[in-house]
Amino acid sequence: MRKTVSVLLVCMLAAVLFLSGCAKKTGDTGPIQIALQAPITGDYAYEGQMAKQSVEVAAELINKAGGVLGRQIEITVVDDGSNPKDSAIAAQKAVSMKVVAVIGSYGSSVTEPAIDIYEKNKMVAVGYGCTALRLTVDKQRTYFFRTCGRDDAQGLFFAKYAVETMKAKRIAIMHDNSTFAKGVAEEAKKALQPYLDAKQTEIVYYDAITPGEKDFSAAVTKLRNTTPDVWYFTGYYPEGGLVIRQARDAGLTCPFIGGNAAINDDFVKIAGLDVAAGALMTQEPLVTDVTTTIAGQFRDLYQQKFSTIPSSPWPVYAADALYAIVGAIGKANSTDADAIATAMHTNMTGVEGVTGPTLFTSQGDRKDVPYKMYEVAADGKLVVYKP
Amino acid sequence: MATFFEQLINGLTIGSFYALVALGYSMVYGVMKLINFAHGDLFALGSYLGYTLLVASSSWVTVHFGLWGGMAVAMLFAFIGIGLAGVLMERIAYRPVYPAGRLSLVVSALGMSIFLQNAVMAIWGSRPQAYPAAVVPSTRFSLLGLPVTSLQVVILLLSFTLMLLIWFIVEKTTFGAAIRATALDRSTATLMGIDVRVVIFFIFALGPALGGIAGVMNGMYYRAISFNMGWTYGLKAFTATILGGIGNIPGAMIGGLLLGLMESLFAGYVSGAWKDVFVFVILIAVLLWRPTGLLGEKTAEKV
Repeated sequence: MRKTVSVLLVCMLAAVLFLSGCAKKTGDTGPIQIALQAPITGDYAYEGQMAKQSVEVAAELINKAGGVLGRQIEITVVDDGSNPKDSAIAAQKAVSMKVVAVIGSYGSSVTEPAIDIYEKNKMVAVGYGCTALRLTVDKQRTYFFRTCGRDDAQGLFFAKYAVETMKAKRIAIMHDNSTFAKGVAEEAKKALQPYLDAKQTEIVYYDAITPGEKDFSAAVTKLRNTTPDVWYFTGYYPEGGLVIRQARDAGLTCPFIGGNAAINDDFVKIAGLDVAAGALMTQEPLVTDVTTTIAGQFRDLYQQKFSTIPSSPWPVYAADALYAIVGAIGKANSTDADAIATAMHTNMTGVEGVTGPTLFTSQGDRKDVPYKMYEVAADGKLVVYKP
Repeated sequence: MATFFEQLINGLTIGSFYALVALGYSMVYGVMKLINFAHGDLFALGSYLGYTLLVASSSWVTVHFGLWGGMAVAMLFAFIGIGLAGVLMERIAYRPVYPAGRLSLVVSALGMSIFLQNAVMAIWGSRPQAYPAAVVPSTRFSLLGLPVTSLQVVILLLSFTLMLLIWFIVEKTTFGAAIRATALDRSTATLMGIDVRVVIFFIFALGPALGGIAGVMNGMYYRAISFNMGWTYGLKAFTATILGGIGNIPGAMIGGLLLGLMESLFAGYVSGAWKDVFVFVILIAVLLWRPTGLLGEKTAEKV
C-alpha cells in the first residue's frame, strides 16, 4: 500500500514538474497561485479539512472584492499527511509548482521540515497552527511567518488580564514541568515583571506539580496558604481536573485560570461539573467570537458553503495567512518572494485578516495575537467569559 | 501549625496507598525473589474493575447498597478479581519460566506490565475515566480543627487495618510461619513438609488483591483513573519497599508511609518541582547508610 502511494506520488510529482515546466507557470497575468500545505489526511485530517475550507472561503471573499493587483487568487492544496516525512514531500511539490507563496502548516513538528525547504527555495511560507517557539526564535529565517500565536503569547495575555482586568494583587502560577507548560508559565512570569516592578501585584506562588500523579494535596495546601487572588495553571487537563478539585476541597476559592491545554470535556469530567463550572481559560478565539467585519463575512460564506463553522481556532489562522499574503502582494505591488517577504516584515499597516490586523515581527511571528478568556458554563460548555 | 498537621494527613493518605501497593510488592519479592513489575498495573486494573462495577447499569450497586455499601462491594469485587488475575498471571507468565532463572522472570514481569497496561487501554480507552460523584461518599467535617472528608478517614483506617492483618497473618499464624520458611529457604521448607505451591498461590493471590483494594480506594479518593496510572504507583511502591527493606513486611508499610510524608512535607514547605529529586536523594542516602533498607537488618526475617 505504502509502496503504491509512493509510486503514485513520484508519478504525480513528475507530472506536476512537467506541467509546471511548460504550461502552468505563474506569469504576470492570469490568477496568482497560492498553495495550502495542510494535513488533509492522517491524525489531524479533521483540522486540515477545515483549513482547506477556510482558505477556500477567504479566497472567494478576496476574489469577489477584486483580487489583488487586478488578478484573481487560485488555491492549490498539498497534503502533508500530518507527519514530518510527507511534509517534506508536500513542500517539494509546492516548490516545483512555482507558487507565489505557501500557507502552512498545522503542528510544529510537521511544519519544521517544510520550512527549511521553503526557505532554501526562497518561497514565502505562513504557518497557521504551529506554535512552538523554536520555529522562529534565533532562526533568522527570511521567508517564514506565522499567523497563530507563539506558546508564550498566552502568558502575556494572562499577565495583562490578571493585573489590568481582574486587578489581582496576589498571583499564583502553577505548571507541570513539561516543556510547553513550563514555557507558558515562565513567559507569564516574565510578562508580569513590569507590574511587579511597579508594585501593582506580586507573585505569591510559583511551583510545579508532577504529571501522572494523582495527589496534589501538598501543593494545594501550600497554594491556599499564600491566599492568591487568581491562580493560573498552565499544564494539561488530566492534572488540571484533579488539582482544581483538590484545591476546592482544601478550601481555596480564588478564580482558576487554565492555559489552552488545561480545559476540555475531560477536565470537566474529572473535576466534576460542580467544581469545573466557572473555571476560566486563556485561549485563541473561535471564529464565532471574533467581532471584525471580515469575520462576519467569513462566517456567513462558510455557513452558506459548508453549513457549519470551524470548530477550532486554527483553520481561521489559515484564512488569516491568505489575507496576510494577499495584503503583502498588494503592498509590494509584486509577486516576487523577496518583495513579499520585505512587505510582510515592514509594511503591513492596514492589512486585516479574519481575526484582526496581521503585523509581523522581524522574526516572522505575528504581533498582538488575539486571545480570549473562556469560561466553563454551568452546563459544562466553553463560552466566552463575561464578567 | 495547623498547616503542618494538614500536610501530615495529606502525606499519610498518599503514604497509605504507597504502603498497600508496596506490601504486595514486598510479599512477592520475599517469597519469589521476583520484582513483579506488573504489580502497579494490577493496581490500575483494580481501579478500573471497581469503576466498571460502580457505573454499571446506572450505578445499580450504589443504589442498592448505599454509598458505603457500594464502596465495600466494589472493593470486594476488585479484591477477588485482582486476586484471580494475580494467580492467573503466575500460572501464565511466571511458572513456565521458573527454570530459566531470575533474569527471565524479570523480563516476563516487564512484558506482563506492558500487556496489562495496553489491555486496560484497549478495553477502557486511552482517555482518563472518572468515578462519578454520585458513587463517592464525601461528607466533609472537621477533625481536631483539620478539614477532612469521611472518605479520607475510612481510607486511612482501612489501610492500617489491612496492614495489621497482613502483619498478623505472616508473623503470628502457622501458615505465616510456612510463608516465612519458604522465603528463607524453599528447598528446606519443602523437606519440612510445607506445600510450597500453596504458599506461592496464596502470595500471588493476596499481594495483588491488596493492590486491587488500594486501586478502588485511589479511584474513589481522586476520582480520575487512567490506563497508565499503574506505572507511577508501581515505581513509588517499589521505592517504598527499597526504602523500608525489600521483602520485609513492616518495612514496606513504614517505607510507604515515610515516602508519602516526605513527599507532602517537601512539596508543602520547599518545592513541588523538586519533590521527586529530594525523595530519591533520600533513598540513595538511606541505601548508602543501610544498603538493606531501614528495616532490612539480618535479624529481621525476610518475607
